[in-house]
Amino acid sequence: MSIRLKLLLLGLATLVLPWAGCRYAREMETALREGEQSSLLSVAQTIAASLQGRGDLLYRQPAPLQIADDAQTSEEAVVEPDAKPSPYDLRPILLSAQPFLDGYVEEWPQNKGAWRYFARDQHRFGVLTGVFERMLYVMLDVHDDHVVYDSPGASPLDPSTFGDRIWIGFEGQDGHEHQVFVAAMGPGSVTARRIETGEYGQLTAVNETRILGALQPTAQGYRLELRIPLSMLGEHFGVLIDDRNQRGADPVSYGTLRSDDLHTVGRLIAAAPELTGYLKQFSQPGLRIAVAAPEGRLLAQADALSVTNVLGPERGILAQFYRRFVDRPGTRRVIDSSADIYDREHKRVIGSLLVSQTEDRWLVLRDRALTHMLNLTLVISGIAVIATFIFAASLAVRLSRLRAASESALTREGLVTTFPETDASDELGDVARGFSTLLHRLNEYTGYLRTLAGKLAHEIRTPLTIVRSSLENLESEGVSSSARVYLDRARQGSERLNGILVAMGAATRVEEAISNAERMRFDLVPVVKSAADAYRIAFPERAFATETPDEPVEIEGAPDLIVQMLDKLVDNAVDFSPAGAQIVLRVRLEPHAAVVEVDNPGPPLSPDTRDRLFESLWQSRSGDSDNRPHFGLGLYIVRLIAEFHDGKAAATSLPGDTGARFTVHLAR
Amino acid sequence: MAMKRMVAIVEDEPAIRDNYAAAFTREGYVVRTYANRSQAMTAFASRLPDLAVIDISLEEEPEGGFELCRQLRALSPELPIIFLTARDSELDAVSGLRLGADDFLTKDLSLAHLIARVNALFRRVDALRRPSEATQIIRRGSLTLDAERMQVEWTGQVVLLSLTEFWIVYALARHPGHVKNRQQLMDAANVVLDDNTITSHVKRIRRKFQVIDPKFDGVQTVYGMGYRWVD
Repeated sequence: MSIRLKLLLLGLATLVLPWAGCRYAREMETALREGEQSSLLSVAQTIAASLQGRGDLLYRQPAPLQIADDAQTSEEAVVEPDAKPSPYDLRPILLSAQPFLDGYVEEWPQNKGAWRYFARDQHRFGVLTGVFERMLYVMLDVHDDHVVYDSPGASPLDPSTFGDRIWIGFEGQDGHEHQVFVAAMGPGSVTARRIETGEYGQLTAVNETRILGALQPTAQGYRLELRIPLSMLGEHFGVLIDDRNQRGADPVSYGTLRSDDLHTVGRLIAAAPELTGYLKQFSQPGLRIAVAAPEGRLLAQADALSVTNVLGPERGILAQFYRRFVDRPGTRRVIDSSADIYDREHKRVIGSLLVSQTEDRWLVLRDRALTHMLNLTLVISGIAVIATFIFAASLAVRLSRLRAASESALTREGLVTTFPETDASDELGDVARGFSTLLHRLNEYTGYLRTLAGKLAHEIRTPLTIVRSSLENLESEGVSSSARVYLDRARQGSERLNGILVAMGAATRVEEAISNAERMRFDLVPVVKSAADAYRIAFPERAFATETPDEPVEIEGAPDLIVQMLDKLVDNAVDFSPAGAQIVLRVRLEPHAAVVEVDNPGPPLSPDTRDRLFESLWQSRSGDSDNRPHFGLGLYIVRLIAEFHDGKAAATSLPGDTGARFTVHLAR
Repeated sequence: MAMKRMVAIVEDEPAIRDNYAAAFTREGYVVRTYANRSQAMTAFASRLPDLAVIDISLEEEPEGGFELCRQLRALSPELPIIFLTARDSELDAVSGLRLGADDFLTKDLSLAHLIARVNALFRRVDALRRPSEATQIIRRGSLTLDAERMQVEWTGQVVLLSLTEFWIVYALARHPGHVKNRQQLMDAANVVLDDNTITSHVKRIRRKFQVIDPKFDGVQTVYGMGYRWVD
């Protein structure tokens, strides 16, 4: 795995940030929810405390009520105004929508338990009461085999024309008992009337216009729907049905009014209309405040739950996408809290305050924070990944540069003097500096080796001179013929030693000759041809062919050095070619260079020696036929001379591995 | 036989110095040896030798020989001076220092060659004191070469060649147009030198001629073979 890939993976690890962000968002949400819950509770408690002892608001009566969840019908209809719950009490439900006054029950809540039933003999009726805003709605479902309507046009006070009647009895705000009746006049809207006694005792039926209603016959009897302003009503309220089998007959009266004087026995346990207004002052969008009776029935509420919050939830695609990661399945969308409302003495619970709140309120906050945070972490992750990638790429580039430099430093001719990356202050710079120091030392060492031969030659020359001059003096002293043999051998040995010294110092001398060489423009072709003539004489066992262009090949340089270079190349070619072989000296023209090539048949060059051939002190000679010493300096001299001419030397095998070709490019 | 000639050898290596001294003594010369420049100069101040063989590097002075040569030349403009050097490369260095030495030789020269050269220099000194003998004079165009005096003139002007240089020019000019390879030139000059040294000698010869005649082109290079004289 490359460093680039590793670092990329490392960069991808920063993607854990968004995940951590999601986790954080969830925890934040939980904390927020808890905070909201407790703040909601304190809201509930505050409102509940403000309602403490407010029986007048909750139940429209100041006295504390004994309100137990006791809906059992008890025959003991003892009226105790401020105490025991009565079976005749009516508990209106809180209507969420205004019923249409048409006698149909469909738009009422389908709440079976809220119906109260009253019966006498085979007669029965059910009553459902509800409050909407400041109105009391009453739905009566009367079972009646024979619905008898009042005869039309007759006086409402003429008993002989009476059909079925429904009496509503209530205690007014003034504390007096009032009664109104609704005569069944057929399907449709009905009129409520009250009976008033005139100045002279005469009775008149006066239309009670504040009460509206409608009647609708049903399969079992009929339904009557009524609307009465709560402001008309006091604490007590009751309904009485006069069921007649025919007009003018004695009615069967039953209901929650005393049948003799139509006085109320039950109460209307409903909140004061002001309670809703009172709650509304605490209302906020997304918040529902409700007051419930201890048995759980809602008395009043200020419902702004569905009101769209000012802060709508984030609708962006990203926000929705993020929410998928954060929202836990089955999350409730509403949180609730409740607090008990006590009586004035703080002894009894007279109701409870319920507060509900949609999650939207904090979801919006959470979504915003989440979206921002996730966007930020994604951007940071992206930047981190890109930065890591760029860093990794640059690192890889630097490493490969370093590798290339270290590879070329040792294999190519000449050591790299300026090593890359050594200016870098990081660890890679340390490595590069280490390499550079190593190469520098190697360079010094190689340089030392290169000059060693020359230095050695110089150092040996003085003792050799002593030996030689001593031998010469000895010779002059007239030694015996037997001793002369040894003298000759000693002289021969010293001559050979001298030859070795000359060969050893060759590179140094060439370097000095190069540094003293003068450049001139000259034609390469006659120089090579002339040299070839000399080689034909010098190496009669080899054939020499020249291939040169017809035009002059002028270069800037030193012809002496070129000839010396050819000498070395031809020496080499002769050494590696069999007797009788043909050595080709070739001059070619290239766009910016003159090329000199020397081909010789013989063993091909192995690829690994090819690069090292031109290094100092390198030789791949297996054995020497002659006695000339070799220090692997010949081709090194070729390289030095090629470089003096801004060129380079190279060696390849001839096609088919039939021999070797040495090519020298010289700048034109 | 006149008075014995005196040869001064200034050489810091005792073994070489004594070997040279022995050889010169054997040849009939009076030899005085000195290990360094101050010794030599003290002696030269009281009496000048007839010829001086000086090593270039002397004890602590790597180029003390040059300085000694300059001082000696100041004492006597005609005194023959031969430089000896352990390194071939120093010959090139000498070329730039026109110190007026009569020859530059490397130490791997054999004693016989050295003595031959000393003899030749004394011969030249003697010849310069006598009137010229016409038989020894070679004329090649503008070149006049006096083998006896080992003196070369180009268009009538004396070219100051060292002994080695003279012998190279002599070898070339005797047979104009004939190519002399390096070995032949070395033999002629009584030196054992490598190719590069011959090349630098030839270069120096050309330069000395060109001082008199910038268009001088008498010594031609035949690449790979050697050199030839052209009129």
